[in-house]
Amino acid sequence: MKKSIYAIAFVLGLTSWNLQASVDIQTWTTSKGTKVLFVEAPELPMIDIELKFDAGSARDNRQPGLASFSANMIGTQTAQLTEQAIADGFNDLGAQFGGDVNRDAASFSLRSLTRADLLNPALDLFEQVINQAAFSETIFQRDRQRLIQRLQQAEEQPARVAQRAFWQGLYGDHPYAHPVSGTVESVESLNIKDLEAFKQRYYVAQNAQIAMVGAISRQQAEKLAEQLTAAMPKGEKPAALAQPKPLTQAQNEPKTEVIDFQSAQTQYFTGQIAVERGHPDYYALFLGNHLLGGSGFASLLVEEVREKRGLVYSVYSYFAPMRVAGPWIAGLSTANNQAMQADEVVKQTLQGFMKDFDEQKLADIKSNLIGGWPLRMDSNRKILGYISMIGFYDLPLDYLDAFPRHIEQLSKAEVLAAWQRHINPDQLFTLMVGLPE
Amino acid sequence: MRLRLIVVGLVTLLATSGLKAADQPRLFEAQLDNGLQIVVKQDQRAPVVVHQMWYRVGANYEPQGLTGVSHMLEHMMFKGTETMEPGAFSRRVSQMGGRENAFTSSNFTAYFQIVGKQHLAEVMQMESDRMANLKLTEAQFQPERDVVIQERLWAVEDRPSSKLFEQFKATAYLSSPERNPVIGWMADIKNYQLADLQDWYDRWYAPNNATLVVVGDVDPHEVVELAKQTYGQYPARDIIQPRLQPEIKQQGMRRIELKDATPVPSIILGFHVPSLVSADSADEVYALSVLASVLDGDSGRLTQEMVREQQIASSIGTFYRANGRLGSQFFFSAQPQAGVDIEQLEAELIKQIERIKTEPMSQQALNRVLAQAEAQYVYNQDSVQAQAMSIGMMVSVGLPADTMETWVDNLRQVTPAQLQAVAKKYLHTDNMTVGILRPSGETNRRPTAKPDFGGRSH
Repeated sequence: MKKSIYAIAFVLGLTSWNLQASVDIQTWTTSKGTKVLFVEAPELPMIDIELKFDAGSARDNRQPGLASFSANMIGTQTAQLTEQAIADGFNDLGAQFGGDVNRDAASFSLRSLTRADLLNPALDLFEQVINQAAFSETIFQRDRQRLIQRLQQAEEQPARVAQRAFWQGLYGDHPYAHPVSGTVESVESLNIKDLEAFKQRYYVAQNAQIAMVGAISRQQAEKLAEQLTAAMPKGEKPAALAQPKPLTQAQNEPKTEVIDFQSAQTQYFTGQIAVERGHPDYYALFLGNHLLGGSGFASLLVEEVREKRGLVYSVYSYFAPMRVAGPWIAGLSTANNQAMQADEVVKQTLQGFMKDFDEQKLADIKSNLIGGWPLRMDSNRKILGYISMIGFYDLPLDYLDAFPRHIEQLSKAEVLAAWQRHINPDQLFTLMVGLPE
Repeated sequence: MRLRLIVVGLVTLLATSGLKAADQPRLFEAQLDNGLQIVVKQDQRAPVVVHQMWYRVGANYEPQGLTGVSHMLEHMMFKGTETMEPGAFSRRVSQMGGRENAFTSSNFTAYFQIVGKQHLAEVMQMESDRMANLKLTEAQFQPERDVVIQERLWAVEDRPSSKLFEQFKATAYLSSPERNPVIGWMADIKNYQLADLQDWYDRWYAPNNATLVVVGDVDPHEVVELAKQTYGQYPARDIIQPRLQPEIKQQGMRRIELKDATPVPSIILGFHVPSLVSADSADEVYALSVLASVLDGDSGRLTQEMVREQQIASSIGTFYRANGRLGSQFFFSAQPQAGVDIEQLEAELIKQIERIKTEPMSQQALNRVLAQAEAQYVYNQDSVQAQAMSIGMMVSVGLPADTMETWVDNLRQVTPAQLQAVAKKYLHTDNMTVGILRPSGETNRRPTAKPDFGGRSH
């Protein structure tokens, strides 16, 4: 049967050639000292811009939720414009304004068409919303109530409870431990002065990065980056984050925590603190994880937990490398009466994988990663995500081109060695939320 | 350039029409002798192709007692054919570096792969194989049913808002199969027999009940050639459509309440309205679509007044899907701010709905919706998958493939008076279903649990 396929391909001239996708990233620094990354993408008359600050929840400093709430206040008012005027302003232009906060960063994004009569006013508004942001007490009070309500709701949602408790258990005293949007108690104790001080400290040019992908020229891009940062205080970079202390130093045995919770399924996470962005072992860890639990139906966890035993709808694992060491996490949810069995299968699969795995499976998963590399860059939005990450974590500009080459060269022994350096199956932190049996 | 392997074709296109290229529909349509419909859209930005196979079958084709069978069958479609081992299709796509999956809705079931364009022929061969040669066995079926049971627990049982929506639909639709949950009722899932799946497969999986959608860096004529050599080898079959089960006329408000361990109540209001498929006049559909956009979002009147000014709602939204095969609902959903009770929120929401009928929307509000829709059309082209989706969703309910290409022009014809007219005609309480999620006063946290993530350790 396969023969006929290749015959068809040959006839139509669809013989496989190497798909060498490459992203040409340009980078420079604005006069205020803001790093810029830019990819020219002339095919569609649109642009994506992201302004990113080292101002994620790791900067909350004993006030969980501070970074997230500060970012949420951006776009609610400026010296001249009300909340409604800002929303109408972007919408009238067909532009999309957004914000996002994670543990490492706060990001603000603008998507606009590049027609001058739309892009110019959209940029003016974007710039104004950030650099002339005014925090109103009324809006602060209202949105704090809304946030508290959402947090209260999250406390009754098993998946949210598990997510929060897992990071807490894994990171202990480190600022990565607390939930990005805070807790009911911590948000209740925030006031608007805290938020203003946070904005003034962190939303500054030296602590900012601009990433852009779209149908504009380098010259336009330079002008645009200057415009976004001209009125921004110069400020300075914050101090480096503390290194998290691996759980393994605190105790020498696997830790399992159960939160009793009335739910149909047990929410399950297991993992460890692993590596930061840019760690030389990341390629080998990533490749190994792709085989273990990072590639859907091609991964061992899906094969063992779902396909062979029907225990779950979804099971996965991933590394989340961050500014300082991020976690490796495996997760699933299953009916309470299967939770202990699922836990056992996950751990056996991990242990088996770390002892040895099939060379053919490694070859297949490499082929998946390398062959699928162009798919990771087939849209402006995806490219924006990558260049923003490259800039923010100071990765080399050829990171995207080099990644598949690194993958190609890795041997099984190297993958196993990297895993053994960073993951110890005897010292996992495991969390279950539900009524596991 | 973003990707260095850009093809000559694109350069020509841009040279002749400038940036307008992005605005030009580039749909190519064909039909094979066996009835398979084909829609191809060229997008040469990356050497990637999305290949989707859409079957005209979904939850609203299902009889009582067999709800969710389309979705269960979708799962089984990965379990091998006469010549391919279970999971082999997925493994092969993975080796290619591709991504693949499937999804089921009320109106359709669809399968897709996103792969480097040199792999198109092979995925078409494999997809056509499982259109005709699926091998259904007990050994594969039993564990996969367990997977679907877990999927339902995950997607519905532990999520009160999903449960509310499921029960809301079953209340808004009494006689129409539109009431069926896509994943199926739990009892139905547990009662499926292998023969049910075989029957469902035999009944619906045929080239004349399917649409092939391909978007990417491809030549449409080559795609048709490949389709002839793959899908073309299977004959058309008689497709017996389900008997018509129209929704009975609603004559008065319907209400449902769900009590659950949630600290915050929420409400859904829904009104029976036409879709592009069921409408006598498409103008009403465009008006409803504009109305939903005018009301929804951070510029919308509902957020402006109920969230910002009156501070009654903590969130509020409007939703209308224009492509339901069996009509549609015009939805409002909201949560009250702390201290506001749900009855008050409902009353205020109904006042807002009455206002739509008496106070015309400004032309500026309409222009805003048009500006967003026009921009969205361009943004949508950033993703090959999104482009293919917007074609497949229309064709699978019998609408023209280019429905989205002319969408904005159709919205542009809508006037403020038409918005009032559709609101008067459809958004009245005799045509309304209300769903309320009410806190039961209980908590999911058992008394032993400590609020500071304590729990017990062992």
